Amino acid sequence: MLTVITLALLGLLWGGVYLLMATGLNLIYGVMKVVNLAHGDFIVLGGLLAFSLFAEAGLNPLAAFPIAALVLFGIGAGVQFGLLERITAAGSEGELRSLLATFGLSYVVANASFLVWGSQFQSVPFLEGAVQAGPIAIPAGLLAASLAAFAATLLIHLWLTTTITGKSLHATAQSALGAASCGIDVRRVRLLAFALGSAMAGGAGALVITLIPFQTSTGGELTVHAFTLIALGGLGNYAGAWLAAELLGLTEVFAQFYLGSNAAAAVIYIVFIAVLVVRPQGLLGQAGRV
Amino acid sequence: MRDRLIETVLFGALLVLAFVIARSGSAYLAQTLFNAALAILLAIGWNVIGGFTGYVSFGQVSFFGLGAYIAALATMRLALPWPAAIAAAALGAVMLALPLGLIMLRLSGIFFALGMFGLARILQISASAMRVTGGPMGMSFDAAEDPRVCAAVMLLAAAAALAGTRLMLRTRFGLRLLAIRDDAVAASAAGVRVWSVKVLAFCLSAALAAVGGALYAWNLGYLDPSSAFNGTIELQSVLMVTAGGIGTVWGPLVGGALISVLSTLLWARFPMEQQIVLGALTMLIAVAMPGGAMAALARAGVLRRPPIWAPPPSVTAEPAPPPPAPDRRAPVLRCSGLGIRFGGVVAVKAVDLVAYPAEMLAIIGPNGAGKSTLFNLISAFARPATGQITFDGKRLPRLRPERLARSGIARTFQTSRLFASLTVWETVLLAALSLHRNRRKARGEAARILAEVGLLAQWREVPEALPPGRQRLLEIARALALRPKVLLLDEAMAGMSAEEIARVHAALRHAMAGGCAVVAIEHVLPAIAPLAARVQVLDFGATIAEGHPHAVLNDPAVITAYLGVELEDAAGAAA
Repeated sequence: MLTVITLALLGLLWGGVYLLMATGLNLIYGVMKVVNLAHGDFIVLGGLLAFSLFAEAGLNPLAAFPIAALVLFGIGAGVQFGLLERITAAGSEGELRSLLATFGLSYVVANASFLVWGSQFQSVPFLEGAVQAGPIAIPAGLLAASLAAFAATLLIHLWLTTTITGKSLHATAQSALGAASCGIDVRRVRLLAFALGSAMAGGAGALVITLIPFQTSTGGELTVHAFTLIALGGLGNYAGAWLAAELLGLTEVFAQFYLGSNAAAAVIYIVFIAVLVVRPQGLLGQAGRV
Repeated sequence: MRDRLIETVLFGALLVLAFVIARSGSAYLAQTLFNAALAILLAIGWNVIGGFTGYVSFGQVSFFGLGAYIAALATMRLALPWPAAIAAAALGAVMLALPLGLIMLRLSGIFFALGMFGLARILQISASAMRVTGGPMGMSFDAAEDPRVCAAVMLLAAAAALAGTRLMLRTRFGLRLLAIRDDAVAASAAGVRVWSVKVLAFCLSAALAAVGGALYAWNLGYLDPSSAFNGTIELQSVLMVTAGGIGTVWGPLVGGALISVLSTLLWARFPMEQQIVLGALTMLIAVAMPGGAMAALARAGVLRRPPIWAPPPSVTAEPAPPPPAPDRRAPVLRCSGLGIRFGGVVAVKAVDLVAYPAEMLAIIGPNGAGKSTLFNLISAFARPATGQITFDGKRLPRLRPERLARSGIARTFQTSRLFASLTVWETVLLAALSLHRNRRKARGEAARILAEVGLLAQWREVPEALPPGRQRLLEIARALALRPKVLLLDEAMAGMSAEEIARVHAALRHAMAGGCAVVAIEHVLPAIAPLAARVQVLDFGATIAEGHPHAVLNDPAVITAYLGVELEDAAGAAA
C-alpha cells in the first residue's frame, strides 16, 4: 500500500514536468496550428545546455533553467522567422509543408547536438537526498523540479490570461483573421508564441535532465510524449493538459515500477495511439482533429 | 504520345544500365546501386500512402523493419528459401497493415503521422525485448552469396514497383486514390468507397516497404532493432519523395537518384554531418520548392500524368428515356420530422419533405434557414437527431454517403468540390465507374453526360482551368453520372451565365424525363422557377410555406421571412 501511495505521489510530481513539456507545444499549436516535430529535440538541447553549464561552470540546474529557456527562446524566434514564417501556403498544403519543415529541423537539431555532445547519455546531479514525509520518501530533486515546472507553467498561464500581449496570443489562437482585423500584429504574435513555446521546451529540458539521463537521440521520444499529452488533454485546452500530464505521469511511474523501463516506453506509445483512436478530441476538449 | 516515348526510353535505359553494372561491375559499385535502388523502392512505397493517398506517415519504416525480421526469421527458423521469405515478409506486412489501417486511417494529418512514428518505436522496443529476434544485439544469418545478384534483384524490384505505380494510376483504383487525396468528401459523394480504397493503399505501401526490408536483410545477413527501425530510413524516404515531387509517379525515382547520390557522397566525406545536411535539405524543399523536381518538369510540359482512358470516339446519344413508372405520383423520397441541433442552435427542426419522380421540388429560404444542413441529413453526411427518411418505398437505414450515392441519391455541394488533379473527363468517369463495373459502359455513360452538358470538348482540362459556371456544370455532370433517382442540387446555378443555366435546364429536363426527382436549393428563384413543380420555403430550420411556386411567393409568411415586418405593422399587431 505504501508503495502504491509513493508511486502515486511520484507520478503526480512527474506530471508537473510533463505539463511544462507539453504546454510549450500546446501554445505553439494553438497559435500557429503547426506542430513542431523538433519540440523534443529542443527539450534535449535545453537539457544538454544545462549539462554543459553544470560541467563547465558548476552552475546549479535551477540557475541553468532560465539560461536554457533564454537560449531556446532565441533559437525558436530564429526558426519561426527564418523557416516557418516563409511557408505561406494555406490549408492542408501549408500543414504538410510546415510538418516536413519541422521534421527536417528535428534531424538538424538532434544531429547538431550530436556533434557537440556526442552520443553518450548525460545527466546532471541535483539534490540527491530525499524528503521524508512520515513513512514516505520523495526524491528532493524530483520535488524541486516538479515545483519549478508547476510554477513556470502557472506564470505563463497567468501571463497569457491577464496581460494584453497574452490575450492577443489567445485571440490569434482563436482566429488569426479576427485578431488581425483588431489591429494585432499576427506575425509578431506567432513569433512570440513559437519563441515562448521553444523556451518552455528548453526550460523543461534543464529540469528533466536532472531526473533522467539524456542522449541526443532522445528527442523523438520526448516529442511523442509531449504530443501524447496534448492529444490526451485536447489541443489548446489548459485544464485538460494538466489532467493529461498527471495521468501520463502516473502511467509512466507505475509502468516503470511494475513492468520495467523498456515496457514503460512501449506503454506510453500504446496510450498515445489508443487516445488518438478512442478520443481524438482529447479528455475534456472538443474537436481535436487537425 | 511523346511523353509515353520519353517514359519508356528513360525506364528502359535506366534498367539496362543498372543491370549491366550490377552483373559485371565491382562489388562496391553493386552495393552502392543496391542502396540506391532500395531507397527508391522505399520512397515509392512511401509515396503510395503519403503522396497518392495524402496520408503523410513518419513510421513506414515499421513495415521495413517488420519485413526484414519476418524474412530473416523465415530463413533461419523455417529454412524457407529467400524468394519465399520475401513473399512471407510482404504477406506479414499486409496482415499487420490491414487491421492497423482500419484504425489508424481514421486519424488525419499530424495524428496519423505521429501515430505511425509511435508504431515504429513500439515495434523497435518489441524486437529488443524478444528472444527470438536476438534482442537488442540483433542476429546474424546467411546473406546472399553474391552482392551483384542482390543488387540486380533489388533493381528489378524497384523497377517493378515504379512500373506498378505508373500502371496503377491508369486504373480505376488509381483514379479513386487521387480523388480521395484531393477531396475525400467529394469522392464519397461520387460513390467512391473511401474507406476500402485507403486501406488498400496502406496495405500496398506496407508491402512495398516490407519487400525492401526483406531484401535488405538478405543483402546484409545481420539485423538489429535500431537499424531495422532506423529513423534515417524514414527521413530519406520523405526527403526523396518531396525532392522529386510528392504524389507523382516519377518523383520517387528522380528524388531517389538525387538524394541517394548526395547521401552516399556525404557519407563518404562528412559522415557526422550527413543527417544535418539531409534535414536542412528537407527544410529547404518545404520552404522553397514544394512541388519538387517534377513540378519543374511538369511546367516544362514533360512527363505529365497521362489521362486515364479517353472518351470513346463517338458519343451514342441517349436512347429515349425509359417509360416513367406507372404510378409516378408515389413519392420516391419522403422525410418526416428531420431535425438536428449543433450545440444550442437548432439548425433543422422537424422538417417534412416529399419528392416525386420526374419533377422538381425547389427549396428556398433566407441565409441560415437550414437548407444545406437538410441536404447533409438526407445525403448521410450528417446524422439526423430526429425523424426518418423513406427512399424508394423503404425506410433508409444509416448508410455511408458513398453507399447512398451508389443506390440513387446524388448531390452537389454549395461551394464546388471538385478534384484539383483530375480532368473533366476523369471526374465524370469516376462517378460513372461507381455504377458500372464494365469499362466500356462507364466510358460511354461519362462521355454521353459530358456531351449533354456541353463539356465534352474540354475533357482534358483540370477544373482550375474552367470558369466558375463550368465548374458547377461539371459537378452536376458528376452527380448525373450516378444515374440518381433523387438529385440534390445545392445552389447549383449560382454564378452561372444565362447560357450555362440553359444547359443545366436541358440536362435536368432530360434527367427528369427519365424519372429522376430533383430537389434544388436556390437563392435565385427565377433560375429554377420554370422547372419547379413545387416550392418549399424554410426559415429558422422549419417549413413556413409549401406549394405551387406562384402561390408560395405571394404567401405573407414568406414575404415576412425575406423582407421582415414594417415597424408600424409590428406595433399594430402587438396592440
